[in-house]
Amino acid sequence: MTEMRKEDTVKLISAEGFEFVINKEAAMVSQTIRNMLTSPGSFAEAQHGEVTFPEISTTILEKICQYFHWSLQYASGKETEFPIEPELTLELMMAANYLHT
Amino acid sequence: MVIELEQGWEIVLRGFNKLKNIVEGLPEPQFTSEDYMKLYTTVYMMCTQKPPHDYSQQLYDRYRESIEDYITSTVLPSLREKHDEFLLRELVKRWANHKVMVRWLSRFFHFLDRKFCPRRSLPPLNEVGFNCFRDLVYQEFSGEVRDAVIFLIDQEREGEQIDRALLKNVVDIFVEIGMGRMDCYDNDLEAAMLKATAVYYSHKASNWILEDSCPDYLFKVEECLKREKDRVSHYLHSRSEPKLLEKVQNELLSLHENQLLENKDSGLHVLLRDDMVDDLSRMFRLFSRLPYGLEKVADLFRQHISADGAALVKRAEDAASNKKVSVAEEEIDLLHNKYLDYVNDCFQNHTLFRQALEEAIGSVRAINQHGD
Repeated sequence: MTEMRKEDTVKLISAEGFEFVINKEAAMVSQTIRNMLTSPGSFAEAQHGEVTFPEISTTILEKICQYFHWSLQYASGKETEFPIEPELTLELMMAANYLHT
Repeated sequence: MVIELEQGWEIVLRGFNKLKNIVEGLPEPQFTSEDYMKLYTTVYMMCTQKPPHDYSQQLYDRYRESIEDYITSTVLPSLREKHDEFLLRELVKRWANHKVMVRWLSRFFHFLDRKFCPRRSLPPLNEVGFNCFRDLVYQEFSGEVRDAVIFLIDQEREGEQIDRALLKNVVDIFVEIGMGRMDCYDNDLEAAMLKATAVYYSHKASNWILEDSCPDYLFKVEECLKREKDRVSHYLHSRSEPKLLEKVQNELLSLHENQLLENKDSGLHVLLRDDMVDDLSRMFRLFSRLPYGLEKVADLFRQHISADGAALVKRAEDAASNKKVSVAEEEIDLLHNKYLDYVNDCFQNHTLFRQALEEAIGSVRAINQHGD
């Protein structure tokens, strides 16, 4: 993976405590996360940008991070398919609803 | 695991109180992303639970009620104890606070905006928030605020230094509270401001017209127009400029045009006689702003030339002592060119003045012929 600056990343933490460090731009595909990162006034850890999702399992959160990156690529012209395993569908949809993605 | 209304609301209320403290400037740690997610999640869950635990409606109502309570208990009392410029400062502060508050709250309650509001065709959260301010604060104070603004404007007209940045912030409130429409600005501020402007300049005009020569008066008018234009660019909305300038020139120029132009000691005839080119140019500039403002000026110009020409003819007759002698063509051409210079230099070669010149010279040639 290419070297990413701390300021450009945000850490998403799953229910089980698994940490995903991803690009901020990717994370902001989620309107909810975007709102949090761009709120007026500052958050205590505006510098660190850590968000915990006690409702979202590691598997789903991982899939969601993949979705963020896929979404950015799709928007920039790379029109590929996003594979979703059928057993993940329901949970994924609920998480997407929650994250406003 | 279902979140009951009061249970969930307690969490939201804590967030709301924290927000209040932050906005009021009290020592309160900033929101953490954990705080944010907890509030967002609580609202989310209360809106996505199955009936009878879908509390969307209650949350929507309580959102509005909480803002109203805050305004009633904290904002209004603080405004009521202030007046004049202090009121303006407090209002600007409270409006800024309110905007911050609504923005944060809308983020926490975001899920309502996504599903509940559109589904029920209800106004979105930020609109509800601003409506609270408009209905409770703006309604009560807009009159007093408007008067304070006008007072400061008149002070500045009299040469006092005022806080222009403050006025700009206040004017912006009138614009923003309209939420996309300008009727609050137009009806609650601009209308009264224009009226006060007319009163102010009417008063000035009645003094100046008695004291000042025509050129001095016109100089003052030009200064006033410049200053009012400057005023708009600094703290009024640009849409007020034409209306404001129209009021000024109406009170200062339109209503006194004849008196100025026909002033025996310093009116148009005197300015022409004494070759006061700058003042004539200013006169043209100013009266060209009025609809039909130049008609009278051109008319007097014509009369002046005719009179000059008639005097020329009479001098020739007198010199020839009772013999009817005409003035030479060259002399009349000289007369024509003398006044053509004014048409070009002062009157911007305007049609009305070229016409006036030609008519006048025509009439001079006519009386000159009859001399034969």
